[in-house]
Amino acid sequence: MKLNRLAWRNLWRRKRRTLITAFSIAFGVMLAMTFTGAGDHYYTRMIDAGASMGMGHITIAPIDHNRAPSLKKRLGNVQQLRAEALLRPEVVDAMVRISGQAMFASAHKSIGGMFMAIDPAQERESNNLFIRSIIEGSLFANANAPGIVVGVKLAEKLRLRIGKKVVYTTTDAHGEIVSAIERVSGIFKTGISEVDSSMALLPIARVQKILQYRPDEATLVALMLDDQRHTRATRDTLAALPVYARAEVLSWQESQPDLAGMIALDKSSNYISQLLIALLVAAGILNTMLMSVLERKHEFGVMMAVGMTPGGLFRLVMIESFWLAVVGLMVGIIISTPWYIYMSEVGIDLSAAYGDDMDFGGVLIDPVMKVRLFKESIIAILCGLFALALTSGAYPAWRAGRVPPVDSLKIN
Amino acid sequence: MQQTSSAKWLSILALVPFLVLPPAATADGETPKRASEILRSVDDLWRGNSSHAITTMRVKTRHYTRTMRLEGWSKGKEQTLFRVLEPKRERGTVTLKSGNHIYTYLPKTDRKIRLTSGMMMGSWMGSHLTNDDLVKEARLEDDYIARISFEGVRDGQNIIEFTLIPKPEAAVVWGKVILVVLADSSTPLSEQFYDEDMQLVRTFSFTDMKLLAGRMRPAVMRVVPVDKPEEFTEFIYEKLELDIEISDHFFSVSNLKRR
Repeated sequence: MKLNRLAWRNLWRRKRRTLITAFSIAFGVMLAMTFTGAGDHYYTRMIDAGASMGMGHITIAPIDHNRAPSLKKRLGNVQQLRAEALLRPEVVDAMVRISGQAMFASAHKSIGGMFMAIDPAQERESNNLFIRSIIEGSLFANANAPGIVVGVKLAEKLRLRIGKKVVYTTTDAHGEIVSAIERVSGIFKTGISEVDSSMALLPIARVQKILQYRPDEATLVALMLDDQRHTRATRDTLAALPVYARAEVLSWQESQPDLAGMIALDKSSNYISQLLIALLVAAGILNTMLMSVLERKHEFGVMMAVGMTPGGLFRLVMIESFWLAVVGLMVGIIISTPWYIYMSEVGIDLSAAYGDDMDFGGVLIDPVMKVRLFKESIIAILCGLFALALTSGAYPAWRAGRVPPVDSLKIN
Repeated sequence: MQQTSSAKWLSILALVPFLVLPPAATADGETPKRASEILRSVDDLWRGNSSHAITTMRVKTRHYTRTMRLEGWSKGKEQTLFRVLEPKRERGTVTLKSGNHIYTYLPKTDRKIRLTSGMMMGSWMGSHLTNDDLVKEARLEDDYIARISFEGVRDGQNIIEFTLIPKPEAAVVWGKVILVVLADSSTPLSEQFYDEDMQLVRTFSFTDMKLLAGRMRPAVMRVVPVDKPEEFTEFIYEKLELDIEISDHFFSVSNLKRR
């Protein structure tokens, strides 16, 4: 390919200009990688954190419970629902839980909040934010053991310490108001003030008795997935199974619309800033290529005079853009790799900027900014920038093909 | 706002029993048995089968002061209904306690509401008592073990002091309740609620002896939260009738509207 070699040589006739343009593409790669990588990492962290706050990535809930929650609506045969879900390879864990509203009271005060009744045998620190945030005391030993684990701010407001009484009042399976007493066994601190001031964990078997639930009844089965990106597909697969016909299978987007909304908003602003970066990179390439075409008018005129077709010139400039893009992407990969390794291993500590309240859409965020790229994101970035480089080379290439031979041969 | 899970305010409001007193159901030994007998006699003395009362409620908090006149009826322990007479703006507002539930009826919007568990913590008409007190009141006798902790002359009065300790499984927030009655007439003088660290949280006091329903009874009951001593809720009784004729239908939800 003579054209190919010609283009490559043309590119290096002006080394400095080519290198500067290549670096602008390379910085485009780096910026896109940082933004996308931060997003990929951050959203995954948030979605996983959100999932560990009770509902999981996927929630199996009684029909209509999500729209109008009530402890009257409940699932039967929950252990079977759990076992069926665990058969799926992408479901790494499943927990039967009861969640509902309650009023917590001590001698000093009463506060409305939420309770989540759990079976300690099914729970793990990794799938339950509250358990991994216990700062004092411990979780009740089993589903039938007395105890309550309360948020640190709830404990403060009710003036509770380990071993103190809490009376909780809620409505049972028949809509009757019921109360029961538990003694504080643990206190958790998540850092999300909304949760710390209103949430409590209770032993599920004891709550079932209070609520007049049968031992196989609960309000939800929370599923944790190996990767949050499998949520929709898994949700659809499970929803189609006959065993879940009398339940609702919800994705985290449906069970936590606040979080989904916040992420969607954040994603779109991320896209806008990436678009601006892309425009800058495109302007750089366009500028370089146009310059090199315009200054070679005379040369193109000569080439056409000796038999080069306008189409050939178009192709020549496009190939130059192609090689420029390739060089840019290579440099980009070379300079981004160490940066990516640093950012994914160490990250940037932003805790000073966030202050104390580190939640986002009601979900705890990590104050250390880190990046993690999904495979599809890497491919998207590289292909996107490559396409961008070719597109911005198109206009200069078209101009090159339109050089009027006679005019351009005149010496100015 | 005070959480009061064991208050007997409804009974007090309707003024039938000043106190719903707990028998010592499981405790054995001489003192608890005697305590429960005396308490039961106090209870019998003050409780009619049904009642009708007119009372004024005064509430003073840091932010506001309000006065309301209420008319109340009760039958047994489970059924109580009262409505607002004054102020005019709230006239006709009805609260019904039937078993475990509380219903309110607002004449302005012509709506009946059954209070949900989340609303139970709310202050009842801005007072220092909560809706929750209503529901818990009837459960009192199952919840405490009573014993006499003092008997004799104190401050020139011959009194009996009872200490009520909640049973371990009872859904009661208090650490203990101390009740003082006059030994001769079984008239209650005060009732003090302590938290689990045995710190006083709130006090009920009964004063202003007056002839009500054929007997000398305290006409003023005052609730004072200990951490806000300048605040109080006070009930002043104008009129009391006991053992009146009243049907169960009177306390039905469908009857709310006609009040």
